[in-house]
Amino acid sequence: MERRSFFKICAKGTLLVAISPFLIEGYLKADDGRLFKSFNRVKLLDCYGNPLKEEILQEEVTYVFNYPYASTPCFLIKLSEPAAKEIKLRDEEGSEYIWKGGVGKDKKVVAYSAICPHQLAHPNPNESFLGYIPKEKKSMAYKEGGVIVCASHLSAFDPKTGAKVLAGPAKEPMASIILDVDEEGVFWASAVLGPAKFFDYFKSFKPELKEFYKNIRKAKKLVSLGAVVKPLDVYSKEVVIY
Amino acid sequence: MALSRRDLLKISAILAATSSFGSESSKKDVDIKKSISSYRVQNAPLPKPKGPRVVVVGGGWSGLAVAKYLKKFSPKTDVVLIEKRSVFVSCPLSNLWLVDLIDLQFLTHDYLQAAQNNEYIYFNATVYDIDRVSKKVYTNEGIVSYDYLVLAPGIDYDYEEWTNGNMELETKLKSLYPAGFIPGSEHFTLKRKIEEFEEGNFVLTVPGGNYRCLPAPYERASLIAWYMKKEGIKGKVVLIDENPDITIKKDGFNSAFNELYKDYIEYLPGSKITDIDLDKKRVVTDMGDEIDFSDASFYPRIRGAKLLEIVGVAKDSAFNKKEADIDPFTYQSKADPYIYCTGDVRPMGFSKSGNTANSEGHLVAKIIASVIEGKEFKWDSPITVCYSAVSGDPIRAISVNAKYAYDKKKKVFTFKDASTMENWKGKQGIMSGKGLLEWAKGMYRDMFM
Ligand SMILES: Cc1cc2nc3c(=O)[nH]c(=O)nc-3n(C[C@H](O)[C@H](O)[C@H](O)COP(=O)(O)OP(=O)(O)OC[C@H]3O[C@@H](n4cnc5c(N)ncnc54)[C@H](O)[C@@H]3O)c2cc1C
Ligand code: FES
Repeated sequence: MERRSFFKICAKGTLLVAISPFLIEGYLKADDGRLFKSFNRVKLLDCYGNPLKEEILQEEVTYVFNYPYASTPCFLIKLSEPAAKEIKLRDEEGSEYIWKGGVGKDKKVVAYSAICPHQLAHPNPNESFLGYIPKEKKSMAYKEGGVIVCASHLSAFDPKTGAKVLAGPAKEPMASIILDVDEEGVFWASAVLGPAKFFDYFKSFKPELKEFYKNIRKAKKLVSLGAVVKPLDVYSKEVVIY
Repeated sequence: MALSRRDLLKISAILAATSSFGSESSKKDVDIKKSISSYRVQNAPLPKPKGPRVVVVGGGWSGLAVAKYLKKFSPKTDVVLIEKRSVFVSCPLSNLWLVDLIDLQFLTHDYLQAAQNNEYIYFNATVYDIDRVSKKVYTNEGIVSYDYLVLAPGIDYDYEEWTNGNMELETKLKSLYPAGFIPGSEHFTLKRKIEEFEEGNFVLTVPGGNYRCLPAPYERASLIAWYMKKEGIKGKVVLIDENPDITIKKDGFNSAFNELYKDYIEYLPGSKITDIDLDKKRVVTDMGDEIDFSDASFYPRIRGAKLLEIVGVAKDSAFNKKEADIDPFTYQSKADPYIYCTGDVRPMGFSKSGNTANSEGHLVAKIIASVIEGKEFKWDSPITVCYSAVSGDPIRAISVNAKYAYDKKKKVFTFKDASTMENWKGKQGIMSGKGLLEWAKGMYRDMFM
């Protein structure tokens, strides 16, 4: 399928889009729905609802947007240096996949599902135990900064290399969100690569999701129009990281 | 009251029936024997295994992780978790519940849900023996056969040093002043003691050896002191510690004892109890202290659960009596290659904590799955992440985070990448207090979802 027509289908559909061979190519050896899933192609928006462009992103700040479902948070981070390229990663069961790298001007922008692959801690409107630690800072989870940490059980992930596990009990990387930038410099999200935990997440957090999204159906609704990107300390009332 | 003819008929029928039992007492003995033997050979009411059967004994922090992840790593394996409790009650965070900082619901979880979510069988029964030759587990609900067996039954208490075989004293200590380090009724008794405490000394003890949860006695002392202070109770916690000093997170606990609970905690390190007089309510230590108490909770030394000794897979470790005699990297019993032991029964000097036991459960699941599936596995260190609350309202906590490495020369495990956060003051202490709750929620998700 040609790139253009594939995107057209994505833009139209509100349901799960069939996996595009174009997208799979280069990420996985096999057509594996488990480690790669394309969802609606969704435009990222800033807090005012304008299309999100790289200029407004501050380096080393943790941003959050919900994707691919209305209640599943993702991190967007503009690193202080270009991300690595073509990183081989493995899920807990040993299946391999390739993380291609950052996007944007200097390939510094990366996005990951913010549901911790260890025991599913994630930012919610009340609090977040996960976030990015700038290079100059340090946390209990890891000896250096420039990492994403989960303070829940102190796992650390490397955002430059596809959120590979650096420390702690997590056994697989955070799932990554496939981003691209269009001709106008606007960011789009279109798929999830790696061990996404959405099913376990919906199962485990039913009561909380009901509280925040009224009912589980609303929480499970696929994002279709646009996803608003907010700084983590706006998305969550309190950020608990040490 | 006059009896009607009808009543008389009824009574005489009952009498007739009773006397017919009474008159054949020798036949009764025979019947009893017969019924016992037929009960013994009965198989447990379980479906036939659909693949290699792994029986996990003990649905605690380690056993629950083994059962879940074994099924995940090797779906063809038939997993049966045998657990004597019908409800899971968490030991971690129970100290917070003792002083009303969380509710009981936070600590209790549902075994049926865990088994359903993770596609293994939960068999609610008590294991009392195992025949290693025929690979059979004997429970009060019948026999369960296995291909591989995992023993994760946790600890038992070892009162010997205090009681010297005096069972009356041991029974009194257990029932009147329970330790509260094996969850269940002990914790309820302890909570009642705290709630009803009026004045005087509340004695708590810290045992020697590698006891279950190094920081928990200090956490408990802090929280009871916090409760006394808040409620305006004229009393104090007397913490009698067999160890020369606070065994873990020393700076954090020390500063809490001194700065928050100066009048509420009397800490007696390096003190062994030499006499307990329950009539006079007095304990004597080898440091010459005589302490009168209004109430107490005595935490004795611990040992590996007695089941291991019954099964013949136990040995005294460097720390405690009768812990699992296993290869420290594969968790396989040295006496029986089909048996694995995990959790607090391990003889390695790891911290006996829920987080450690859970991460070990993940590893043991991987090991057994790789044996069944014919795959390789790599040893990975268990992980100890342990928060302790030092006060409530808001909850303030301190924490430790460590892995382990094997020192080949000394043939022991040592801490690796260990760090602690012992500053309970300011924002950091409050953040850790939130971290403590979040830690537990994550662990419960791991075991039950
Ligand atoms: C007050 C307190 C506070 C603690 N705080 C923390 C903390 O903050 N953080 C932390 O990480 N750890 C903490 N711990 C330690 C933690 O609870 C233990 O280390 C952990 O439970 C060990 O796990 P386990 O699976 O080896 O044993 P357990 O969790 O004790 O599980 C053993 C299971 O086996 C079952 N069983 C035993 N014998 C049989 C049998 N014959 N037949 C059938 N079933 C059987 C038992 O019913 C039990 O469910 C604390 C403990 C206490 C008591
Ligand atoms: S949930 Fe993130 S480290 Fe455990």
